[in-house]
Amino acid sequence: MSVLSPDPEAVGTAMDFTRVHTRRSLLLLAIGAITGIAIAGYGLFTAKGTRVHGVPPEAIALVNQRPILRSDYITQVQTQYSVRFADTTPVERRKVLDDMIAEEMMVQRGIEVDLPSFDPDVRSMLVAGVELQLFADVLAQKPNDAELQIYYDAHRANYIRDGEMRLRDLVAAVNPQRPLADAQRDAAAAIAALRQGAVLDKVMAQFNLADSRRLMDSGHVDLGDVFDFAARARLDPAVFAAARVLDTGQVSDPVTTADGVHVVVMVKRVAPAQRSFADVSNEVWRDVSEDAKRKVRENNLKYLRSKADIQVAAP
Amino acid sequence: MTSWPLSRNSIRVAALALTLCAATVLAWHLHVRKIEDTLVRADPDQAVTDPTLVSFAMGRAPPLYRSHCAGCHGSDMRGIHALGTPDLSDAVWLFGLGELPDIENTLDYGIRSGHPKSHNITDMPGLGRIGQLSAAEIQDVVEYVYAFSHADADPEAVRRGRPLFMDKGSCYDCHGQDGTGNVDYGSPDLTGHSGWLYGGDRQTLFQSVYDGRHGICPAWITKLSAAQIRELAIFLYTTARRAPHAPTGAAGVT
Repeated sequence: MSVLSPDPEAVGTAMDFTRVHTRRSLLLLAIGAITGIAIAGYGLFTAKGTRVHGVPPEAIALVNQRPILRSDYITQVQTQYSVRFADTTPVERRKVLDDMIAEEMMVQRGIEVDLPSFDPDVRSMLVAGVELQLFADVLAQKPNDAELQIYYDAHRANYIRDGEMRLRDLVAAVNPQRPLADAQRDAAAAIAALRQGAVLDKVMAQFNLADSRRLMDSGHVDLGDVFDFAARARLDPAVFAAARVLDTGQVSDPVTTADGVHVVVMVKRVAPAQRSFADVSNEVWRDVSEDAKRKVRENNLKYLRSKADIQVAAP
Repeated sequence: MTSWPLSRNSIRVAALALTLCAATVLAWHLHVRKIEDTLVRADPDQAVTDPTLVSFAMGRAPPLYRSHCAGCHGSDMRGIHALGTPDLSDAVWLFGLGELPDIENTLDYGIRSGHPKSHNITDMPGLGRIGQLSAAEIQDVVEYVYAFSHADADPEAVRRGRPLFMDKGSCYDCHGQDGTGNVDYGSPDLTGHSGWLYGGDRQTLFQSVYDGRHGICPAWITKLSAAQIRELAIFLYTTARRAPHAPTGAAGVT
């Protein structure tokens, strides 16, 4: 029997539930539909579609379903008025609660307008906050001397006192007037003279050698002490390699590079030296902590990357 | 008519019994939930004075303590020197005055737990490690602190240590000029009247000053319910209040 074409025998009053009744079915269907639409409309137009009725016990208020915790509220009241919670007045409590609700609304507004996506201060604070949580365990570690010694032994190269050098980097330039062979001859003669104690300026003039001007300070040739790392960065690699093995007063063998033949005169040399554990234990202590932080940060980023959908345009 | 395996009557009785059991469990659950809600909603003063709520919390907190706190603070609540965890059986508190909201706040967010709301304003810096004091100076400061609670301290070292405590070491800044600590910073009492967190012998004191300390307590807010935290807080509050010779007000342990 079709509902749309019911048996006339079966059609009774609406309250007779023993019989199929088309009008009653349609009526119930309509009531259900209207109720559903009303609930949906209420939720839609009041933006409270998922509202939970009643404030949960641990919260003092709900702001758009976000709880303000009762314990936070009590702490805030006590902190703000510097008295026990029991000794505060209803007005004082209300003020604190209003302030907390206002703050929550502002925070939610910030999220709504997506502040973290464009405000550098918010982004920095978020990063710092996440790192603070990550580093909590690392900061709690206080390695003892035995652990520091192990780290020191494994990273001895990090605790070498950088060397210093005061040098002259001279070059016998190669050009059409002086081919490479002539430059090499001049450099070799200059080296021989310098090793015999000849005066530098005279040798430079005699064999037509000029300063390479790789080590400069305010427009002048740097005649002062230079750390090894600085010399490494500024000198030709082959020249630096020749320089770093020289002692005070020594003159290098000729070093041929693209611009000519170099001669290094080491005026003063303080060689790099391994610093003892006793001297650097505090640095080791700091480095252990920084190293641990770095590892935690890397592992966290690795984990985040494993979860993230990152798409990079071709550079 | 009897049918295998049970008669219709038996099935009805069994169904009725099951329904009654379920109803009883449900009623008990609702009853407990109601007390939990009352406990959580109660103002702090009411929560620690209402006999029903206190009794409820004291009955439910010990298993929570054993599973979450005893690992660091010891099953006897006396703290563990090797870990630097404080004695929770006395009325001495590092942070706050030992009122229920103070305890609850520490349980919620912890101490240097990484939670932004944890007690993390400061920690004990390694004054030797950061080069603020030399090893010799630290020995003098230690002697000055040692003298708070010991009569056999070296008077010369104490004399040298005092200005280091008051000036170069900036110890007074957190621990106070009288060395009694500050519950806002969680800086402990150094006078020895409140016990010691890590130990009060010269060697341990030296290590504390040279290497620093960074005790932590986890934030339980993400692991325990509000009711469980309040139950634990009432348990700790009540235990401390029952401690013999419980000092009142601010005090600390180191």
